[in-house]
Amino acid sequence: MKSDIVGLIYTGENSERLRDLTRIRSVAALPILGRYRIIDFMLSNMVNSGIHNVGIILQQNYQSLLDQLGSGREWDLHGKRAGLTLLPPFAASEHSYYTGLLDALKSNLSFLRRSKERYIAVTDSGILYSIRFEELLAEHLKNEADITLVYTKDRDARRNGVGRYLGIDENCVVKHLEVDPSIPRYENTYIGVFLVRREMLIDMVDRATSQGFHHFTREMLARFLQEGTYKVCGYQLPLKPWVIDSVQAYYHANMDALDPTVREMFFDKDRPIWTKLRDEMPTRYATGARVSNSLVADGCVIEGTVENSIIFRGVTIRPGAVVKGCIIMQDALISRNVEIENCIMDKQTTIREGGRLVSTAAYPTVVPKNLTI
Amino acid sequence: MLQKKQCVAMLLAGGQGSRLGILTRRTAKPAIPFGGKYRIIDFPVSNCTNSGIDVVGVLTQYRPLELNAYIGSGAPWDLDLNNGGIFVLPPYSTGKDGEWYKGTANSIYQNMEFIEQYNPDYVLVLSGDHIYKMDYAAMLNHHIKEEAAVTIAVRQVPWEETNRFGIMNTDENGNITEFEEKPANAKSNNASMGVYVFTWDKMRAYLIEDENNPKSSNDFGKNIIPNMLNANEKLVAYNFNGYWKDVGTIESLWEANMDLLEDPAPIDLHDRRWRIYARNVGLPPHFIGKKGEVINSLITEGGVINGKVTNSVLSGGVVVEEGAEVIDSVVMPSAVIKKGAVVRRAIIGENAVVTEDAIVGEKTGDIAVVGNNTVLSAGQKVASGEQAGE
Repeated sequence: MKSDIVGLIYTGENSERLRDLTRIRSVAALPILGRYRIIDFMLSNMVNSGIHNVGIILQQNYQSLLDQLGSGREWDLHGKRAGLTLLPPFAASEHSYYTGLLDALKSNLSFLRRSKERYIAVTDSGILYSIRFEELLAEHLKNEADITLVYTKDRDARRNGVGRYLGIDENCVVKHLEVDPSIPRYENTYIGVFLVRREMLIDMVDRATSQGFHHFTREMLARFLQEGTYKVCGYQLPLKPWVIDSVQAYYHANMDALDPTVREMFFDKDRPIWTKLRDEMPTRYATGARVSNSLVADGCVIEGTVENSIIFRGVTIRPGAVVKGCIIMQDALISRNVEIENCIMDKQTTIREGGRLVSTAAYPTVVPKNLTI
Repeated sequence: MLQKKQCVAMLLAGGQGSRLGILTRRTAKPAIPFGGKYRIIDFPVSNCTNSGIDVVGVLTQYRPLELNAYIGSGAPWDLDLNNGGIFVLPPYSTGKDGEWYKGTANSIYQNMEFIEQYNPDYVLVLSGDHIYKMDYAAMLNHHIKEEAAVTIAVRQVPWEETNRFGIMNTDENGNITEFEEKPANAKSNNASMGVYVFTWDKMRAYLIEDENNPKSSNDFGKNIIPNMLNANEKLVAYNFNGYWKDVGTIESLWEANMDLLEDPAPIDLHDRRWRIYARNVGLPPHFIGKKGEVINSLITEGGVINGKVTNSVLSGGVVVEEGAEVIDSVVMPSAVIKKGAVVRRAIIGENAVVTEDAIVGEKTGDIAVVGNNTVLSAGQKVASGEQAGE
C-alpha cells in the first residue's frame, strides 16, 4: 500500500574515528556485511515500509553514493509517480558542505515543499538499523506527537562525550535532551531518526533559521523542548542498532552478523535488503578450501583457510593463505601463504605472497582502498 | 512504426522438456535453475545482450507462469527498452481459428507480425535448453559475408553420439549439402546447435509455404531446412568451438552443473566481458557455520551451510543442516537438507525438503531426483535413477 511518508536520508557527516574507511566516501556508502553499503539498509527499510518517495541529501565525496544508487531501480525507486531524488549541494552555497542537518534542510526546502506526503521521516546515515516506518507513524499518531524521535536503550550505542540522549516520561514524551555529555545521564540514545508532519518541519526550519540557529538537534530541538513549543515524543527502536562511528564500531557491527540471531534481525525474509547488483557467479570453493563461521558473498574464489570473517564480492583467497577475524572488501586479493588476522581490507587491495598482517580485534588495521602491501 | 532493427531474436521456449521428468512437470524447461544462480534461459538471453541484439521474442506455450514472471520487464538483461526489449509471445486466438503452436516453425509463423514491426533483415532463432556463451554478432557477420539464406551453427560432437543430433554434411566451402536427423551411420560429426540465422525474406517465404502444406509438421529440422536444401538455397554451416551443452535430460543437466566445478571450468562465468545476467533475489551473502565444510563446490547468496558439501552446486537460499552431507549433487533454490540426511549424485528440486536421515541417490548409477516442493519422510530412501515427488 502507498505510504503517506516521504523519506529523507541525510548523508555526509562522517565521524573522524572512521579514519581511512571514510576518507574517500561518505559513511552512507561504506561497504558492510559482505555485499551492501550502509545506505542500502535505510533505503530498503523505507521501501519495505511502503515509502516510495525518497530524497537523499548528498555532500562532500558523493561519487560512491551516486554509483551505488543509479536510478534507484534496485529498490524499485525508479517510478514516475515517486521514486528517488538525489539532492546534491548547490554550487551557489557559501561552503562546499552543509554546516549541519538544519542547513541541509534549509537548502532543500523545495524538495520538502514539492513532496505530497503528509509526513516525513528523516534519518542520519551513520547507523545500521532495522525499523518499520509504518509502526513509527502509528506510534506518532497514537501519541498525538508533533515530532517523534527514535531512540534505543541498547548500551552499545552509548558513548561518553558524544551522542544525544533523551529524558523521556512514562507517556513517551521527551522532557530533556543531552548533547555530547561527558557521561550520559539518560539511557535513551537518540539515533538521529525522526518523524514529523512535513509542513510542520518546513515551519520549524523557517523559525529556526530566523532565530539564527545552525544545529537541528543541539540548538533547535533543545530550544523547542525548553519552550514547550511542540510535543516531542520518543519511539523505542524494537531491535538493536549499530552506530558506525569508529573503525572498531564498524568492525564489530560486521562481526556481530556472524551470529545467526543478529542476521535474522537484518535479513527478514519478508523485508529483503536490496543493493546494486554485480552479476557475479556463485563463489567457488576449491578442494583445499577450509572455511568456517564466515559470511561470504558471490564471485569469490576461495582456496585457502577462512575463519570468523566477512568476505565481500569478487575476493580471491589463494592456497595456503589464512584469514582470521577479517573484513575483506570487494575484489581484494589475498595471495598464497599470507597470514592475516583482525584486519579490514578495503576494496581492490592486495596482500602479496607470504605477507603477514596481524592485529588485535580491539584495534583492527585498515588497509586503504587500492593499496598493495 | 517502430525503428528498424537489423536482427531480431526469437527464442523457442514452448516445449515441456519431458525428458527432464519430474523437474518440468509444472514449469517450462527454460525456467529450470542452473549453476547456482541462473536459469537456463539466462544463457541465450545474456548472449543476445552481449551480442548487441536487443529485440528478443520468447515463444512460450507449456506452463509459462514461472518463465513469464522470471522474464518480467527484461531489466536483468538490460532489455527493458523503449526501442526494443524482450517480449513473451504466447499462442493467441484470432477469432475463429486461434491455435496452439503446432511446431517450432509454426510458432514463428504465428508471430510474423511481431517480427515485421521491426522490419529486420535477419532473424536469429534460438532454443532454451543449452548452456553456452556465444557471440551471435560474429555468426551474423558470417551469414552476411556468405550471403546465405540460412546459417546454422554447428559443433563437432563425438562420433558415437552423432545419432542423437541433427547432422550437417558440408562441402569444402562450408555449404551444407545434406541434413540428416539423428542418423544411424553419420557421414560427418557436425551437429546442429539449434542456433539459426535466417535472412528474413527467405524465412518468411518458406514459413508461408510450409504453413500451406497440411502434411507438414511445421518444424525447422524436419521441414523448413530440408525444403530449403531441396530448393537449392544457400545453407551455410558456422563452426562454433566453445563450450556448449544440451541440458535437456536429467543426466546432462547434472553433468553441465558438474562441469562448472572443474578447474579451470570449461565455461568461464567469471568473465567480466561476457556476463551471464540473472534476476536478483535479494538474499544476503551465504554463511558457512562453525561445523560447515565445503570442498570443491559452488555456493551462492542466502545459503546456510552447517553440514558437509563436496563437489556440488548449491542455489540461492539452500540450507544444509549440521550432520547432513551433500556429495556430487545439484541443489536448487531454497531446498533444505536436514540433519543426518545424505544426498549423493542427485538433483534436489526447488523448495524440496530432504528430511532427517533421508538418503537420496547412490555412489554409482543414474542420478536420483527429488521434485520441486517435495517433502521426503524421515529416513526415506530415494534410489539412484528414482524420481521422488509428484
